[in-house]
Amino acid sequence: MTTIPLTTRPIRLPRPGTVVSLLVTGFVVVAALAPGLLTGDSPTAIDLTATLQAPSWQHPFGTDDAGRDLLVRVIYGARESLGLGLGATALAFAFAITLGFTAALAGGVVDAAITRVLEVAFAFPSLLLALLVIAVRGPSLATSIVAVGIGSAPGYARMIRGQVLAVRQAGFIEAATALGHGRLTVIRRHLFPNAMRPLVAVATLGVGQSIVWASALSFLGLGVAPPSSEWGALLDAGRLHITTSWWLEILPGVVIVLVALSVTSLGRTLQHRLGGAAR
Amino acid sequence: MSAVIRVVFKTVASLAVIVAAASVTFFAQLAVPGDRANTLMNLQTGQDKQWTAAELAPLNERFGFDDPVVVQYLDYLNGLLHGDLGTSYTQKRPVLEIIGGQLLPSLTLTGAALLVAWALALGITLVTVKRGRFLTGLGTTWEALTASLPHYWVGVVLLVVFAVQLRAFPIIGGTSAWGSVLPVLTLAIPLAGFLGQVTRDEFEQVLRQPFVTTARTRGMSDLGVRLRHVLRHAILPAVTLSGWALGALVSGAVIAENIFGRPGIGQVLVTAVNTRDLPTVSGIVLVVAAIYVIANLLVDLAYALIDPRLRTAVAP
Amino acid sequence: MKKTLAVILATASLSACGAAEATSDGTPKTGGTIVYGHVQEPPCIFGGWIQQAYISRQVLDGLVTLAEDGSVQPWLATKWAASADGLTYTFTLKEGVKFTDGTPVDAEAVAWNFDLWENKGGNSTAKVSIDPYYKSAKAVDARTVEISLNSPYPPFLNLITQGYFGIQSPTAYKSRTEKENCEKPIGSGGFTVKEWKHGEEVVLAKNPAYTSWPATAKHEGPAIVDEVRWKFIADGVSRYASLSTGESHVVYEVPTVNWKDATARYQTIRYITPGKPVSFYINTKTGPFTDAAVRKAFAYGADRKAAVEAGFHGVIPYEGNPAVSQSTPGYNAEAAKAYAYDPAKANQLLDEAGWTGRNAEKVRTKDGQPLTIKLVYGSGFIFTQEGATVLQVLQEQWKQVGFDVKLIPATQAELWGGKYSDPSTFDATPSYWTSPSAAILWIVWRPSTTEKPNGSNRSFYNNETLSTTIQQANAEADAAKANALYGKAQQIIQDDAAGIGLYTQNSTYAVAQNLKNVWLEKSQGEPVFSDAYFVG
Repeated sequence: MTTIPLTTRPIRLPRPGTVVSLLVTGFVVVAALAPGLLTGDSPTAIDLTATLQAPSWQHPFGTDDAGRDLLVRVIYGARESLGLGLGATALAFAFAITLGFTAALAGGVVDAAITRVLEVAFAFPSLLLALLVIAVRGPSLATSIVAVGIGSAPGYARMIRGQVLAVRQAGFIEAATALGHGRLTVIRRHLFPNAMRPLVAVATLGVGQSIVWASALSFLGLGVAPPSSEWGALLDAGRLHITTSWWLEILPGVVIVLVALSVTSLGRTLQHRLGGAAR
Repeated sequence: MSAVIRVVFKTVASLAVIVAAASVTFFAQLAVPGDRANTLMNLQTGQDKQWTAAELAPLNERFGFDDPVVVQYLDYLNGLLHGDLGTSYTQKRPVLEIIGGQLLPSLTLTGAALLVAWALALGITLVTVKRGRFLTGLGTTWEALTASLPHYWVGVVLLVVFAVQLRAFPIIGGTSAWGSVLPVLTLAIPLAGFLGQVTRDEFEQVLRQPFVTTARTRGMSDLGVRLRHVLRHAILPAVTLSGWALGALVSGAVIAENIFGRPGIGQVLVTAVNTRDLPTVSGIVLVVAAIYVIANLLVDLAYALIDPRLRTAVAP
Repeated sequence: MKKTLAVILATASLSACGAAEATSDGTPKTGGTIVYGHVQEPPCIFGGWIQQAYISRQVLDGLVTLAEDGSVQPWLATKWAASADGLTYTFTLKEGVKFTDGTPVDAEAVAWNFDLWENKGGNSTAKVSIDPYYKSAKAVDARTVEISLNSPYPPFLNLITQGYFGIQSPTAYKSRTEKENCEKPIGSGGFTVKEWKHGEEVVLAKNPAYTSWPATAKHEGPAIVDEVRWKFIADGVSRYASLSTGESHVVYEVPTVNWKDATARYQTIRYITPGKPVSFYINTKTGPFTDAAVRKAFAYGADRKAAVEAGFHGVIPYEGNPAVSQSTPGYNAEAAKAYAYDPAKANQLLDEAGWTGRNAEKVRTKDGQPLTIKLVYGSGFIFTQEGATVLQVLQEQWKQVGFDVKLIPATQAELWGGKYSDPSTFDATPSYWTSPSAAILWIVWRPSTTEKPNGSNRSFYNNETLSTTIQQANAEADAAKANALYGKAQQIIQDDAAGIGLYTQNSTYAVAQNLKNVWLEKSQGEPVFSDAYFVG
């Protein structure tokens, strides 16, 4: 279970990799927005006469104990999985931007206080945070988003604070201030865009990581409620089957890895284009 | 500022962080809905019902669940001051003892995972960074791939392949060295991908520095340059992240413990949260926070050793 | 692992009872260490949770035990008699039995244990099993103990065969700390707790001075093996696989996907737990299920049998009787047949009950309200992944007849903390309660009143006829008549659909081929290791 405060410098993936990443991501986005375009079947349709079937032309990913088609379930799970990744990252950034900017701009006591709070948050095991959030709210998709989002916020906050401080030193901010632009204008027009630009890529990476993170919650039986086919839940449902019906465990895992990998590599490509470093 | 004051300040600040983390946990748990006495009764009987006030009275009395929150907190703080983390509601043992028994296996697991992750990350970086398109591509893909692996999935695949099929390692290895290999790898592989990404970025930057070119013109071999000059600089950011990673590994450990039937603090934490065992949960947070703080102090030290520029800055 | 590969000894103690003739599998050996893979780690060795009964059975002896044929047999008590009015039970204790701290297992000690369970909070499940019938216990002389009841209660003997009623040494209990008692209770059993490596295993060592084996034992004398390592392996894949690599000799809760493989490769034991099966409590107090017709439609509306077969891969039996399971004495097999899958009947009942509208999602409505059912279940501890599959199949079938069933997984903290105890928080919730007697009906279905609330009656179902019937059954000395009354009570519950049956709670075990004579005690299905021996 890792919330990863990400690195920020470009890594060149081989071109075919980028193409594959784009394809995978595109496919998943379509699945999330309009799963009906990719399959005509229902993800919860049971067929007790066709349970635990190995992958075949008819069921490319096989079927589970209730005879549900695993590929259809994976496709329909994209919305929740991606939603979870995006939601958690958005939530984390909302917290992080507020804390990071306040700390960096206010400075002094406020900065010291926020830095301390972040320190405490870092020292707090992220697992416990998730467990407590779930204990208060009960397991659900929204809870997972909150648990993962809050868990990864401190890392981003620290990064943003550093970034704002660095950008503030840059010549063009001084120039803008010298030109008599108001404080808010400088923040809005210059500081914010420049401080955030490298973090756009970081956010992309966070989406993939959040999906991986959330699968750990499912492992502990604290994930999204059935019959959801959120990928972490599929992974959890497949665990007992690994020695008898391998596809139920292996294929959802491959999907998670492939998607996280694709989103990550796109994030890195994007980062490369935008340039700059956030550290 | 004199060195003494600096050290005192740093120590006090660290202690404050630790106590704050435990306090936050204390209050967060009180905020969890549901009655602690009721939970305990159900735990003792394996039921899931609402007990009557009369049935719960002895437990409330005994653990002081009915006391005002402030009183409960002051009691807790008072205990902390005396080095007493309280007694588990469920296991009837001092929390310190509960943690003490589970800490070493967890620390060994996470410590070893961190080391292995470092070795993997460095090895792959050294071999593949700036080595032509193919090798570099392979290295970056490997890192991004492993960094995206869910722990549970890695664990169960390792288990089935290496323990069940190939019989190379025990399934329930406990804390034995041989039995720790798979749990360590479960945690180390995803972490290695992550550390590798960080190190590679830095490595590429450093390779472009003028002093590297100078070293090469002096006739130093490529490997020599990489090991002697570049590595030292390239690992700095990853060293910074190691302190953080140790904390994160404690969280990840629960999965490895669960699969490989290993004792450890992760499982204790999950059980304690489920059974509303407040002193145990707070105690674990306190200990994990302390480890985090110590790890970060060590990171500061390591930083100073690796990067000579910082020595003067840190030294008094 | 310390494995004593003792020189092959066909010992006298083995052949004495004829349990261990040398077979084609190999020669019996004494000594050795059994590695047993259990699932959950309890907070203390003894207590009122079934997980504790499993392990305390190894360490503590009971007064009496249940035989395979359902009769009550001697254990620490060699004989007993009930007074004519059914109010007094007099037990005669086996002579010369000592606790492992050296103190005698005498009448004083037994009486003290009853007092501990009933009046000192020693074991709340023991207490609830014999409440409110239990009155007092007293030592008549060193070997005679007398238990008095408030009113006749023939199931009493049956109930005290449960693991919760393990007798501990009062001397040890009183003189040691709570922690010591929790970790290493002192009984007179075949094993003692040598060490508890928390999070990993409990090491049980043979009690060499064991003299108090039950009448149902398969050999006479102390345990044949030296140690049992009671390991906690939560993950089903690892637990089952550890048998194939020889890392364990016995595993509990074989994943149902592996059951077929297990029957081919190992000795397997399946035990259907008596008592309340895994069945739904149906909230009869608030919400749509206040209407009995809707409850019945719910029961008819899904193919529960097929769902159970799919989720548990044909290993675990369906149980149509919501009140008691098929292995319970007094089980009403006729009642169990009610409400076989009949979607047409379900639709008809719902139409008649006024749920005639349909919203955009094809969910039935009445006065604009959708027919939504909140189904709360314990995720990960009461319901495994296999059980969750059953619920999802049911959900899909209920959808076809117009129920919108919301599956709400509840964590242990939520369920035990009481989040779902109020009637407004759920419409149906499945759970089970093991008991060797149909008297469990009284615990579960006793009417809940303001003066005497019954938190276990999660259907909030107060039925005077039912209450009277169960009480008559509980007091009936003639077993056949009692069973007829219990059967009637089950019929009442079923007829009113105050509960809906699902499946039996099972204990499954797989035992390595080189370990013989592992057996399950009858009342709760706990494994017994004191007769087991290795061959080779």
